[in-house]
Amino acid sequence: MLKSLLKPVLLISAAAALTAPAALSANDLIKSGETVAVAKSTLSITPPRDWNKLSARPGKKAETWTLDGEQLNDISFYSDIAPGEPLLRERSKKRDPLPKLRSNSLLTDVPEFLEGTYRAHFGIAVFSLGASKPTKFLNEPAIQFTYEYVTPDELTRRGEAIAVLRSGKLFMITYDAPKLHFFERNIEDYRAVVASAKIA
Amino acid sequence: MNLIRAIAAALLVLCTSSFGLAQAQERTAVRQGFTLPPNSGKTILLFRPTIRVGAQSTGGMFEPNADWTAQGREHMGVSLRQLQDRLGNRVIEASEPIGEQALLVAEHMALFAAVSSSVINYQFFVGNRLPTKKRDNRNDVFEWTLGPQVARLPGAADADYGLFIYTEDQYGSTGRKVLQAFAMLGGVGVQSGVHSGYAGLVDLKTGELLWLNADGKMGGDVRTPEGAEKRMRQLLEEFPGSSVQTAPAA
Amino acid sequence: MRPMVRLLAAVAAMATLGAANPEREFDLPTYTGAYQPQNVDERGMWMVDDESERLTRDSRLVIRDEALNNYVHSVLCRAVGNDRCGGVRIYILRVPVFNANMSPNGTMRVYSGLLLRMRNEAELASILGHEFAHFEMRHSLDEFRRKRSTSDLLAWTAVLGTLAATYGGGSTQSYGDFRISVYGALFRFSRDQEREADILGFSYMAEAKYRPSAASEVWRSAMNEADATSTGRALRGQRYDKTAFFATHPTNLERADYLSALANRVPGGEYEGRNAYQAALAPWLDQFLEDQIKLNDFAGTEYLITRLGAEEWTAPLLLARAELYRLRANPRDLPNAVEFYRQALTLNPDLPTAYRGMGLSLMRMDRKSEATPSLSRYLELKPDALDADMIRSLVAPQ
Repeated sequence: MLKSLLKPVLLISAAAALTAPAALSANDLIKSGETVAVAKSTLSITPPRDWNKLSARPGKKAETWTLDGEQLNDISFYSDIAPGEPLLRERSKKRDPLPKLRSNSLLTDVPEFLEGTYRAHFGIAVFSLGASKPTKFLNEPAIQFTYEYVTPDELTRRGEAIAVLRSGKLFMITYDAPKLHFFERNIEDYRAVVASAKIA
Repeated sequence: MNLIRAIAAALLVLCTSSFGLAQAQERTAVRQGFTLPPNSGKTILLFRPTIRVGAQSTGGMFEPNADWTAQGREHMGVSLRQLQDRLGNRVIEASEPIGEQALLVAEHMALFAAVSSSVINYQFFVGNRLPTKKRDNRNDVFEWTLGPQVARLPGAADADYGLFIYTEDQYGSTGRKVLQAFAMLGGVGVQSGVHSGYAGLVDLKTGELLWLNADGKMGGDVRTPEGAEKRMRQLLEEFPGSSVQTAPAA
Repeated sequence: MRPMVRLLAAVAAMATLGAANPEREFDLPTYTGAYQPQNVDERGMWMVDDESERLTRDSRLVIRDEALNNYVHSVLCRAVGNDRCGGVRIYILRVPVFNANMSPNGTMRVYSGLLLRMRNEAELASILGHEFAHFEMRHSLDEFRRKRSTSDLLAWTAVLGTLAATYGGGSTQSYGDFRISVYGALFRFSRDQEREADILGFSYMAEAKYRPSAASEVWRSAMNEADATSTGRALRGQRYDKTAFFATHPTNLERADYLSALANRVPGGEYEGRNAYQAALAPWLDQFLEDQIKLNDFAGTEYLITRLGAEEWTAPLLLARAELYRLRANPRDLPNAVEFYRQALTLNPDLPTAYRGMGLSLMRMDRKSEATPSLSRYLELKPDALDADMIRSLVAPQ
């Protein structure tokens, strides 16, 4: 049952080829220079380069963009996360509950909220928060922070995030990539996406 | 963060693999502009190949077989060196690293697996391709990399390219074949055996992926010298500048 | 039929251990040395196991701290004897799960979550001894042989699944259910095998003069913790399988009872080794507690911390409990968190993390004027903290 990641991919490709592409809805092209609303919200982005939007969403109010696949570079948008809601879709509300945003959550709580979510959801044992600092995002006081963790496929990954609480609701954009090469390679692409963010 | 998606794909496979479709899936790509002339005298560093040979039980699970794996490892090693000699390229096997270097190699193996599966999932095969990679396909672009830090890998300084190989073979057991026969009667396709593999060549100075060959249905019984040679031919099929003949279909 | 045969075998095994003669019930059998694979199947299993060890050895999760490794190895050696422990390779994995296991080639994996839960050396020795007993009695090999002949796909997976870990395979295996296994859960054992391992485990304890009742206490607390987790999540029934150890070691109250009964009969010693254990664990305690707190299992974690605290509420335990409450942050949790931070600071006034947590909790309760001194103290103690700029922005007048 627990085979290598690769073989399943090969097999699924074989299956998908015959069962028509409709089995997996298509990933969309996000064109450079065009303004798009993300994560089913009023948050909009005007990216300076082309991106791919994955058809699978990590959460109800979330959306993922990638250049080469989410294992190599992953920008995820979370918008309008309300108190009582988790960041990602819970596998099982009862058995594997995820941390919830609280009405009294502060910006300083956001890194630990993300850490708790990642640890519980992805089965991560080694996770460390890096530096955090105050910044502006969507014209409001925000937090920017970094983190590093080891995923179960034994790859060390780094992340950077920016988040803001608007009337108690969380808006956040994260970037996750392998520490080897990929994080540095596309960090500026991520920051350019963040810089283009606007909210209606 | 959408890693969970990869798992979803894997889980879907779990449902389909046992009753999967016996459909050939093979794809090769070379980085644009890369050529490796025959007899160029380049040195290729072979990282410890992941070779798994075993039987597939009636339930479809993998049963490892040490003798088969040892045979497979030996035969494929011999074939690989023979084929490469014919290319005029020298294959050296990476020595077993220790300590911090072992962690660095392990981390790169994991990165190579992540890159390969991204190529396979998002550029090679229909169904889940990324739009930007579809465009690359149209323009004959194959641009992937592990990053220039590969130059720090043990042994990299003395070689030009790194070769990564993964093969897995599960030979259908008698029970599995009986099940297959029954399933045929019922009109359900059950695959007997799994024979998949990939091979990738990485530039040890730049980290660029120069060539990748992935095959979900390979030929050649790696338990025999002839079969192992056929497998290695398939794995190295369309190896840049190669005169290795395409092996006949399985 | 099979269960019957196995039961008879177990009874026979108990008899050979001297059950007929209470005086000799827990005498140690002569050690015959590590078993070597005999045929194609077994060599296949060993080969995969060797490959798995290779992956474990190069894993980022392995804790390479020499002192901790030497200590855990010394406990195994004290527990099972130097002739037995010699060839064992122990890998301590930073995984916040109560688990340990030993595979046929002599690899023992000990999870950080196990070390966190042990209160003393005797408790650790009981678990290491139990796992070694499975190894000495070749239980995994028996299971491997038995399960090959069944069509139970899941059982089969449990036997070989994690053994067959390869590059790129890690992600698929552990996302499913992390608690069951990251690297472990190599083998499921039958009830008879557990009983055999328990008896042999007690024999080690007796020989080594450890306090035998430590073994039953560990089991009981593990079950209580699993209950607490279930209750906390409003799950019906006792889901022991959520704890990795129970996924591979089927157990129940009856088992805890017979462990107690056995413990009373074992002519063991009184050595507990509480101080030695705590000293060895001290450099890692904060890290292991943090890993546990962030699992998002409030009730299970509360049980675990309270159990450790029942012996003595130390500053690290109080701090961990405070963090647990602050991270859940229900309105009623925050005053509790503040109180635990205060208690921790009474014991050790130099805990920057406690000032930080207390300040943040008060801030979330809208008690800014009380929060500010705490946060300022945090910044004084740790001016270069990674979140110093962020905390300063809270303290600064807006």
